[in-house]
Formats: sequence, structure tokens, C-alpha cells
Amino acid sequence: MATQADLVSFTTRVSCPDEFDSFWDNVLAELATIPLDARIGHDPFRSTDSAKVYQATYRSLDELEIFAWYSVPAVGDGPFPAVLILPGYKSEPALRRDWAAKGVASLAVAVRGKLPSSSTFNPGYPGLLTHGVEDRDTYGYKGVISDCVRGVDFLLSRPEIDPARIYCCGSSQGGGLTLITSALRPEIKAGVSGYPFLCCFPESMRMLRSYPYDELSCYARAYPDRAEQMLETLRYFDAVNFAPRIKCPMVVGIAMEDEVCPPETSYAAYRLLGGQRELWLFPNSGHGNAHEYPAREASWLQQRIGATPA
Amino acid sequence: MTSTPSSPAAFWEQTEAQLAETDPNIALEHDAFYSQPEWDVYRMRYDTTDGHRLFAWFSVPKSGGPFPALVRIPDYASVHDIIYTPLRHRAVVMNATHRGQRNSDALMQATYPGLLTEGIDHPHTYALLGAYADALRALDALATQNLAQISTVALTGAGLGAALALAAAARRPNVAAVAADTPMALGHPAALQPGLGYPLGELGDYLRAYPERREAVTETLSPLNPLRTAPSVSAPVLMSAGRFDRSLCPLPFAEELAVALPNCDFRVYDGAAEGGGHEHAVVRGAWLTEKLDLNA
Repeated sequence: MATQADLVSFTTRVSCPDEFDSFWDNVLAELATIPLDARIGHDPFRSTDSAKVYQATYRSLDELEIFAWYSVPAVGDGPFPAVLILPGYKSEPALRRDWAAKGVASLAVAVRGKLPSSSTFNPGYPGLLTHGVEDRDTYGYKGVISDCVRGVDFLLSRPEIDPARIYCCGSSQGGGLTLITSALRPEIKAGVSGYPFLCCFPESMRMLRSYPYDELSCYARAYPDRAEQMLETLRYFDAVNFAPRIKCPMVVGIAMEDEVCPPETSYAAYRLLGGQRELWLFPNSGHGNAHEYPAREASWLQQRIGATPA
Repeated sequence: MTSTPSSPAAFWEQTEAQLAETDPNIALEHDAFYSQPEWDVYRMRYDTTDGHRLFAWFSVPKSGGPFPALVRIPDYASVHDIIYTPLRHRAVVMNATHRGQRNSDALMQATYPGLLTEGIDHPHTYALLGAYADALRALDALATQNLAQISTVALTGAGLGAALALAAAARRPNVAAVAADTPMALGHPAALQPGLGYPLGELGDYLRAYPERREAVTETLSPLNPLRTAPSVSAPVLMSAGRFDRSLCPLPFAEELAVALPNCDFRVYDGAAEGGGHEHAVVRGAWLTEKLDLNA
């Protein structure tokens, strides 16, 4: 079990590359040239009295079509606040009708590689974490992060969404992507990052022997001559390098018994946050399973949003 | 497509007969990339009913043997990955898939949500029934592979995986232990109550859309009710549930199931669908270590 002293004393070797900002500016500029082509199809089967559910698609980097569950309050005309929900590494995007019942729209994104956004990019699980890691421009997460960024564009494109009230959350990989997306998109007003993955890659891959980080260890063992280049690429995708660029309020939730994302590495991202920050520590919890986390996440976001309790 | 009778006994007899007619045709391919200094990882493939070919991650400790085996039966999700366990140092670990999951999806790509209700209005068309055959086939494949000599077999699973593990243990008496976390109530009336969250909530959506099909749905799911097969599980079971679970394993169902299992160590935690979380993971690890005789 990690202690609070462990969190505070931990240091990472990760530093920010000189070209970090220009790299991501170029990615955003490239995305801006791609037509969003946002579409929604009503899903009456999954809709309820309080939630209109849609199957949404939009275009992202490499013009890939990305799928998402889009849930809108069935009552009222809007504009509604919205929560962008980002997915874990191997889990399915969640269908969150509970937000609609509170008067909040939600978009749960299936980033590339996940069903049903996997028709042309499908490195698998395991696989995604090392896919194209030889170069920052070929790394799979360049596209994954772009898909999250474009989720914000999707919400901004919708007339029923209040562009001034867009929020973000996710756990594990979704927690890491919440940090990264919030840094890249100032339209996000606040976020909750649970058990964040994608933090301090060099240390995380050595501190635990569990997947997904162990994929990096496997890569380094299989290709020792490429290990340093892998770590160089990962500097561009490490959430600790995005954290200072986040200006909105952000919560980081850490399970002290986390066996997948080392607590120390999540804390390293937390203490670098550039805006108002809040830390939740869960002493007797493992990865993704703190009993009180889901309700606390919903409550915190609801307070920020000013949504009506269900 | 499997032709499926709706009585539990007939369902299992037919499933067993179809499996008996299907050669597992096992193939094992060493995966140097994911192998570790202490164990080798293999990509395992084998045949099941209805022409499906299934995938499993299969790991074997580098030295010693015969080994106990831990079979992780897949949950309701598209991905079933390698998953690390400290037991991998000393036990064969098999992470099996069911038809429609990644790497087992040549004939059918399952959707999540979606699979739980696909073809549910008739026992002959319900896609998820095949997952029960696939759980049994995983144990057949483990028993007939010749890469590692197996001593004891334990099963683990969560959600659907736990329900499948219990069903498989009821049919395969060589299973020595089952660690079943928050078993999905599929087949039990509790799964059809309104207001549940996903995944079981998908059944409620279906009945809301097609209320006239309730009887047909009930008949299709009837053979899968874990309470029906529970008395046949001779192996000791460690079962966990979350007191506030309203989406997977509602507590009244879990309590009923625990009573129906002949030898069940039932643990209830103050959680929801995550069951006991870290606290139970510690309990489960120690329990499996003991059942697989890995203390030495």
C-alpha cells in the first residue's frame, strides 16, 4: 500500500519536450481541417422518459469515424450542460442515462480501437499502448487523444448544448484522457480524473507488473534498442506534461492500493495541475473500485454544473 | 445456429452433445513478446459449437510441474485480456473468451451492450446461450491440451463470468474451486425487474420496448438461472456481492444463490457492482492460493 509520504516523496524522470506545445498545436490545427461530419441517430430502444439516447458519430484524425453514446434530457429544450465521458483502456463506453435525468447531456466516447470505432484501427488490448510507439506521429494515442478532443467539437456543434458548460470525467485511461483533453480544450470547465492512467510512463512500467503498463516492459524487453525512443515518444503523451496546462478546476482520485496505476504517478500529475485542484484519496481501495467514488464524482460535477438532483 | 430446448436439463444435454461432436482442434502459439522471465505466454485457439473458433491467453510457468490451473471465465465485455495475477508464477493461467469477443469474433462480433438481448425472444436464436457452451469448452481445451500437465483446476469470474463459471463447475466435477464475484442474475426473475442499471438494465429496456415478449424472454432465460444449476456445484465456492448492487447481482438474488450452493463462502461488501473491490481481492487471492495448494 502506498502512503501519503510515498506520494509526496515520489519524483519522476519525465520532463516536457521543447516541442511539446508545437506538436499538439499542429495536431489541433490538423484536426481543424477535418470536417466533423457529426451525425446522430435516435435509439428508441435505449431511450427512456428522462433520456433521449442517440448513437452519435463524428470524424477525427485520419478521418476515422468515431462512435459515441449521446444522451440528452428528454425534458426541456436546452441549452443543456454536458459531460464528456472518456473510456478506460479496455472497457466499453458507458451509456450514462443518469446524467440526462439530472438535466445534463452526456457524450460517452468509444475512442479508436474500441468497438464500434475499430473498423480501420484495431491494435487490440493488449496492443494499443505500444502501437506505433516508435514515433510521436505514428503513436496510436495521437489518434486516441484526438478522438477525445473531437468529442468537445461534437458537443460544441450541437444546438441543444450550452457551450459554456462542458465538463469532463473518466477513470483509469479515461482519467488520463480527462487530464489531457482538459489541457488541450479550454472549453472544458471542470473535470474529475479517477485513478489516472498515462502518468509517468518510465516509473509506472517499472513499479508494477500489471497490464496495461506491462505492455511497455514487454516492448522494452523485446526491442531493447528501441526502449529509449519509446520513452522519448511517451513524453509527448504523458499526463504529467499536460497537467500544468490545465486551467480549469480538476479533481484527481487516487486509490492507495491501486495495482494498475501506481498512486504515486497519479499524484505526480495532481500536484502539477495548473488550476484549482482537489485530491481524493481512497485508502483501502484498488484500481477503479473505491465504493464511494461514483457517487462522489457525480456529486462534485453536479455541484459545478448546477444540475437538478434526480 | 444452436437449436435450444428451454428446459434446463434438455438445454445442458443438448449443449454437451454438441460439444461432444466437436473436436476442440487445439492450437497453441508461443507469444515471445508477452512472455515473461518466469512464465511463457501462448495464444491458444480451439473449436466450439456452431463453427466458432475461440481464443484464450494461456500461460505456463517456466519451471516445475505439474501445475494447478486457474481459468478466468470471461465477463460481459468485448475485451478479455492477459490480466496479471501473482499466481501466474506457479500456476497455469487460462483467460478464455466466449464467441463474439475480441479474437473469437470471426463469425459473430458481439456488441456490448447488445449481446444480452440479441435474439432473446426465442431459445433458438438467443446469441448469449453459446457463451455457456464456450465456458465448458474452455475446460475441455484445458483438459486436452498437452503443453502443461494440470493438477488442480480453479475457476474465477466476475459478473457474467461468475455465472458462467458456476454453470461450468456444475457440469465439470473436476473443478476444485470457484471464485465467483457478483454473479450476473441472468435467468433469475431479479434480472427482469424494472429500474436496474446496465448491463442487466438492457433486459428492462427490451421488455419496455416489447412488453408482449415477456413470457418468451422468461422461457429463453430459464435454463440459465444460476439457482437451477447451483445444487450441482460440488466444488467450494467463494462468492462476493455488493450490498447496493442494482445492475448485476442484486443482493436478494445473491443471498438466494449462496444458500443454493452446497459449499459457499459468501461475502457481502458495502459496494455496488464492484462487489468487494480491493478488500475482496485480497480475500480471493488467499483463498485461491489455498485451494490451488500454492502455499508451499
